[in-house]
Amino acid sequence: MTATASAKTIIEAREVHKHFGSFHALKGVSATFSEGQVTAIVGPSGSGKSTFLRTLNRLEAHDTGTIRIDGIELNDDLKHLDAIRREVGMVFQSFNLFSHLSILRNITLAPMRVRKMDKAQAEAKALALLERVGLGNQALKYPVQLSGGQQQRVAIARALAMDPKVLLFDEPTSALDPEMVNEVLGVMRELAHTGITMLAVTHEMGFAREVADRLIFFDHGVILEDTTPENFFTNPDHERAKTFLAQVRHGF
Amino acid sequence: MNWIRQNPAWVMVGAMVGLLLFLWGMAIPLSAAPAPIGQAAQQFAEGSRITVLLTLIAGSAGVVIGVIAGLGKLSAFPPFRWLCDFYVWLIRGTPLLLQILFVWLAVPQFLPESMQISDFSCAAIALALNVGAYNTECVRAGILAVPQGQVEAARALGLSPLQTFMDIVLPQSMRVALPALANNLASLVKDSSLAYAISVVELTMVGYRVQAESYQPIPVFLTTACIYLILTTAFTTLTAALETQLDVGRKR
Repeated sequence: MTATASAKTIIEAREVHKHFGSFHALKGVSATFSEGQVTAIVGPSGSGKSTFLRTLNRLEAHDTGTIRIDGIELNDDLKHLDAIRREVGMVFQSFNLFSHLSILRNITLAPMRVRKMDKAQAEAKALALLERVGLGNQALKYPVQLSGGQQQRVAIARALAMDPKVLLFDEPTSALDPEMVNEVLGVMRELAHTGITMLAVTHEMGFAREVADRLIFFDHGVILEDTTPENFFTNPDHERAKTFLAQVRHGF
Repeated sequence: MNWIRQNPAWVMVGAMVGLLLFLWGMAIPLSAAPAPIGQAAQQFAEGSRITVLLTLIAGSAGVVIGVIAGLGKLSAFPPFRWLCDFYVWLIRGTPLLLQILFVWLAVPQFLPESMQISDFSCAAIALALNVGAYNTECVRAGILAVPQGQVEAARALGLSPLQTFMDIVLPQSMRVALPALANNLASLVKDSSLAYAISVVELTMVGYRVQAESYQPIPVFLTTACIYLILTTAFTTLTAALETQLDVGRKR
């Protein structure tokens, strides 16, 4: 954690628990994230890392504990939820572009509906964002006509169109063919330097080490390590983290 | 069917114009036909227009009913779900002719003298309720076919539940439900003939009357059948083109 440590807190999770039936997915997770921080969340599958990310914009409702985003408590109050979702963007593993809408319309829909932006303004913004992710000439195509990597870059542009303060990435490269991973990581790398708060659940250890300010290791529903990437990769505290690293280490 | 695929918009316009020309122009060639068809040409044309009007009114109302009841069957509010289940169970379990007779004979007894409805309206109401029940199942299947990720993406972008439904779920579910809805509409063209039982002068009633006056059932019923075939062909062409139109961005 560098200069961002002194910055304002934007996400505060305290003692968050989540059950799926009898499965205890999150066992009292507490963490705070400051503005502008880039956090990589890693861990074995089923460790609760994606669930934790999804509780942050209430795609999963947590059972107990408190979550505050930008000072607003995340609870059943729909007003709070709407306010939070406007500020928190999300990029999914399987892209989830709206299949019946053109690329342009995918990006303009939320700004027009939620931010009440007029069409010309929304389209100009969408085209600028598409340009930024290197897809300026694909605006009128449909998602199915694009490759996985291109779709994920559109999904990032779609999230950015709402000017979120926080961007959540849920395994953004896991559904991609290997040769497409880098084009998405390139966009994420560029974003990390713009000062947006990013939380990325990822299996890309190279990316985590190179780009993240902070690294969180999840195991069995708890945060086992919360440290810098450098520390985690060179000198992890826990045996579980060492085992995990040994398993993922090949290839980077 | 390639030409439908390539120009769905033109096919739709063509089918509609063709249908209108047929409905208002068929009396001209028919009047040149030998007795007993020739002198009944205007009656056939008028009966066809009533059949089409009945189909369109009941068909459109039936789609609205289908969407509402289809949603109701998926509702989280049990009484609404039970009501919709009961409606579908009742309509699908009883004959259409009985439903038409019930609306025509029984419903007026509940209504005050000043609110009596025409025979045509009775037929339209009964047919709409009937096709609505069948549409309900198609719409429900369509909604269930929309991937959960599409809803999550919309909600994560800050769209409200209503916006998510109108902009994302409904258009995508219609793409799935449309072939089945179109099938119901084609059946409705023919089912509307049962309105003859409550003295609505639609196409079948015209045929019945003309043969009763002329004692020539064979040419009269052949003419009636031909007109029905032309009507159903127009409707299926229209819906096939609409399907193609809505099919954009979908994997084939």
